Parts: sequence; C-alpha cells; structure tokens
Amino acid sequence: MSFGLEAEGLVRTFGGLRAVDGVSFQLRPGELLTVFGPNGAGKTTLLRMLGGVMRPTSGQVRVAGAPADVASRDWRHRVGIVSHQSLLYGQLTIEENLRFYGRLFGLTDLKARIPERLESVGLADRGRTPVRDLSRGLKQRAALARALLHDPEVVLLDEPYTGLDPHASKVLREQLASLKDGRHTVVLVTHNLIQGLELADRVAIQIRGRFLSVTDAGSLDLAGFEALYHAAVADHG
Amino acid sequence: MRNYLRLVWAIARKDLLVEFRTHERLTAMGAFVVLIGILFNFSIDSALVRPQDIAAALIWMTIIFGGMLGLGRTFRLEQEDAALSGILQSPIPIAALYLGKVVGNFILLSVMVALVFVVFGAFFSLRFSGSPLTLVGVVALGVLGFVSLTTFFSAMATRSSMGESLLPVLVFPLLVPVVVYGTTATDRLFIGRPIAEVSGNLRMLAAFAILFTVACAWLFRFVIEE
Repeated sequence: MSFGLEAEGLVRTFGGLRAVDGVSFQLRPGELLTVFGPNGAGKTTLLRMLGGVMRPTSGQVRVAGAPADVASRDWRHRVGIVSHQSLLYGQLTIEENLRFYGRLFGLTDLKARIPERLESVGLADRGRTPVRDLSRGLKQRAALARALLHDPEVVLLDEPYTGLDPHASKVLREQLASLKDGRHTVVLVTHNLIQGLELADRVAIQIRGRFLSVTDAGSLDLAGFEALYHAAVADHG
Repeated sequence: MRNYLRLVWAIARKDLLVEFRTHERLTAMGAFVVLIGILFNFSIDSALVRPQDIAAALIWMTIIFGGMLGLGRTFRLEQEDAALSGILQSPIPIAALYLGKVVGNFILLSVMVALVFVVFGAFFSLRFSGSPLTLVGVVALGVLGFVSLTTFFSAMATRSSMGESLLPVLVFPLLVPVVVYGTTATDRLFIGRPIAEVSGNLRMLAAFAILFTVACAWLFRFVIEE
C-alpha cells in the first residue's frame, strides 16, 4: 500500500542556515500529522516544500507514491494548501477567485463545484463579496474553499488559526475536522498545542529544522505533551 | 495546446479584471502620458524645432517611461496575501504564467499607447502620411519586445530588496534595439516613406520580440521558483 504523503531526508538551506534539516516521515491516507515548533523552527519552509512551492536543497517528497518534483506539475492536482495568508486576490470576489484557481487546475465543472464548496465552508451567500471586505475568519474559510476546490487528497495547513477569534477558530476547527474522513492526508503546522492536538493522529516536534520526534497522538495527554514540548524547546531551541 | 492557451488567458484575464477594479496601473500610466504631453508642449519651441521631426522619439520615450510605471507593478499584486504561492502550487506551467502576464501587460500597454498617439496628435497637430497598418505593426512589435523584457525583470525586481527602482537599470540597456528600430521606423512612416524602407526594421523588431519572449519564458522559472 502506498503512502499518501512521504518526505525523505528533506533539507533546505538558506546560505549557511539549515532551515529544514533531514526531515523524514510517512503518512497513510486518512492520517493527520501535526507539526509543532517555536517560531523559526522551519515549519513553514517544510510545508512549502511539501506543497511544491519551494525546491528542497536535497531530499524528496512523494505524493501517493509518485515523486513530487517542483519542476513537474501534474501531481499538484493532488495537493491543497491553506496558509495563514489567504492566497486570494482582495480585489476579486470569492467566486472570481475560485473561478480563477479552478481554471488553473483545469476544472470544467466550476458552475456546480463553486457553490458546493462555498456551501461546505458556510459562505454560500458570500460568493459575490470582494475578499478584501471579509473578516479574517471568513477570509480563512474562503481560503479553505480555494484549497479544497480541486478535491485534493493531501491538504497542508500552515498556521490556519492565526489571527482568528475564538468563534472563528471553532468554526474553522469544525471544517478541518471534516477532512478526517479517511480519504485526506493532512499535515497541520502550528505552535498552538491545544488546537494542534485536537485533530492529530500523529504529532512531531520540529526545532531548528529537525524533527525531534514523531509520536502517535492517541497516547498523549495535553499536560504531558506540553511539558515534553517546553522541555524540548528549552533543550534544543 | 488549447489547454495551455486557456491557462495563459486565465492569468491575463485575472490581471485585467483586477486592473479593471482598481484602475491603479492605467491611472498612473495615463496621467503620466497626459502630463508629459503638456510638458513637451511647453518645452519645445516650435519656431525652432518642428514637433513633426522629433515626434517618433517623443512617442517612444513616453511609451517606455510610461510603460515602466505600470509594468513595474506587475507582480506587486501577487505579493498581497501571497497569491503567487497559490499560483505556484497549481499545475500551471511556469512559462504559461509568464506568458499570461505578458498578454495582460500587452493589452494594458496597448491602451496607453493609443492614449499616447491621441495626446501627441492633439498637442502637436501631428500629420501622418504613411501606412497606418504598418505603423500598428511597428508599435505592436516594439511594445511586445518591451513588455516581454519588462515583465520578466519586474518579477526579478519585485523579489529584490531594491524593488522597482532596480527595474530601469536592468531593462534599459536591453531595450536599445527596440528603441532604435522602433523610433527609426516610426519616424520614416510619419514622413510618408515607402513601406520597403521600414521592412528591415519590422523584421528586426519581430526578431527581438520573439527572442525576448521565448528566452524570458524559458528563464522565468529561475526567477520565480524558490
């Protein structure tokens, strides 16, 4: 059985700095890995390499068993990214943004697909609103609709809760929970321990580019993990 | 091929739609053209210099400097909310992204060029006695070469710490052939010289436009990918 997402010895350097340093993991379809780490740990760099936005200095990413090289484009149909930035154009409406991205992904059923995605993130009545007029929470939901528009098997979430108020966080969390349907392979990057542990099947702690551990989340309790995390940051950070 | 062209048009269409909403680049370029027309009108002593004799140079300089104002901001809108990352994560070939930007910029600049001819025609009462179709060909090929280069270097400048101020330094030296052949051909067409006298310029402008577009499309991934 092939893995949904694999990283093998991923390294990314910027000058003399090793932002990501030999990260390897394997995720089966349906699994959600949460990567915790302090600021500057290399989490976003890791996610950008997994999403094919950034070329690794060395190492390889495989999506559904196939090499996911930056230069090749076909595997990108299988991956969706949600960032703390919306990746949307503020001057365009949500529908226009989704239509634009749908065209880039070669989707032909946009008339049916866009309302469906907007409905699924609770934005059915906001399609014609310019993105710049949306609150932070609604903008993040629009970003989720964009990332899931092409029905990707692998979803990468980079600090999706950043800047959200408690209610918006709760709504987003419910939507992210719907990704745990056994079909999606998900990597969530965050430094918020509570939000990160809630949905995780496996957790990793990344510090100074390295994965210190990859553990099953089922065996963890929040207090114990919090102590472990702080000790790891103090020792290696 | 049809799918590839669809992707190119998707990028161009999005850029034009954003411009249609904001009028940001067209307003800057249009205001520049009108102001330059007014300044030239007051600064050229028509008793000493016939505007007709220097019209081609004035027109091309206005196109280059005005175009630089708008085209320099090509990738600025992609930086807001990291939209470029969204495009790079999609399956669109990088060259198609570049060509889409070129098509969008070419359409925008064509609007500005039309304004340049209207403004200069009005201020200097220019008389044109050549072939209008050939003039359109000369300007279109010159503008395509200019747009291809400027779009490419605009991506490079946006990612550098010097920003847009770097753009003229990078672009102007490479623009020399476009300016020389474009200005000469436009000049000859203004005074009604036969088309045969500008066919060499047309071929050179076409060669540069193709060369710049193909080379920049190929090199674009080295500029845009991280």
